[in-house]
Amino acid sequence: MKELSLNILDVAENSVKAGASLTQILLTEQGNVLTLEIVDDGCGMSEDIVRSVTDPFYTTRTTRKVGMGIPLLKLACEQTDGSLAISSVTQESDPVNHGTHVTATFHTDHIDFTPLGDVSASVLTLIQGHPDTDFLFRHQRDGKSVELDTRELREVLEDVPLNSYDVMEWIRGSLQEQYEMLS
Amino acid sequence: MTVDELLEHGFEAVSLPDGSREIDGVYIGDLLSWVMGRAQMDNAWITIMTNVNTIAVASLADTSCVILAEGVEMEHDLIETAQQKDVNILRSSKPIYETAVQLHELLA
Repeated sequence: MKELSLNILDVAENSVKAGASLTQILLTEQGNVLTLEIVDDGCGMSEDIVRSVTDPFYTTRTTRKVGMGIPLLKLACEQTDGSLAISSVTQESDPVNHGTHVTATFHTDHIDFTPLGDVSASVLTLIQGHPDTDFLFRHQRDGKSVELDTRELREVLEDVPLNSYDVMEWIRGSLQEQYEMLS
Repeated sequence: MTVDELLEHGFEAVSLPDGSREIDGVYIGDLLSWVMGRAQMDNAWITIMTNVNTIAVASLADTSCVILAEGVEMEHDLIETAQQKDVNILRSSKPIYETAVQLHELLA
């Protein structure tokens, strides 16, 4: 995809579809290595499915459950000499600690590194579209970080929906302000 | 013009499960997610990308063929996948622009 942020959006949507109550989007920059983790507590996938989600033909069937998000994410990290790993625990095998963990690493100094793009916009889109599920977003760089946890917001807001205009604007402003501190 | 007919004009067959497909227009691009939303059915798609997702995008967009420009190689396993998935793939030794110009003349 043109920007990694769009890829992040696509893969995080899979987590929501898997029934996650909390989806974490974690970006960690250490030197020239960027690690993206998308961690959810959704229904999980069997080993067979985990193996097949990176295969674009699994996802292009007419009854596809996930988009091209994972195959394109795999391509995006591999073309920077990075890698993609997926681990998953199904709800049947562990009713308490289940979910999926996607880890993608990128070498940001590689010429084919896809720009990160506007990750804040992706986070806002996720909250807007799924105000009843929780998201934890954290972007760490050089010991500093940008963070948003909708569970904390929910506690303060009580009955105000997360996707109401004022809340969305507050989140937008908060992320922007934190990013200014990060750079 | 059909995909088969391109073979008479210097294009090399990489995977040709359905050479009788008619070519209608050309699309050029290497960013697969971009191509996925823009290539039209029956287009010949010129690219230099040779991974499994190339085949998936060609299949999704239902292009008449993929044309690998610059003589880029495709791994043997992927050629088998293309054949299984009914995706035509040709190769041109020319750069993308020259390949496009040649197609423009042939399709005119």
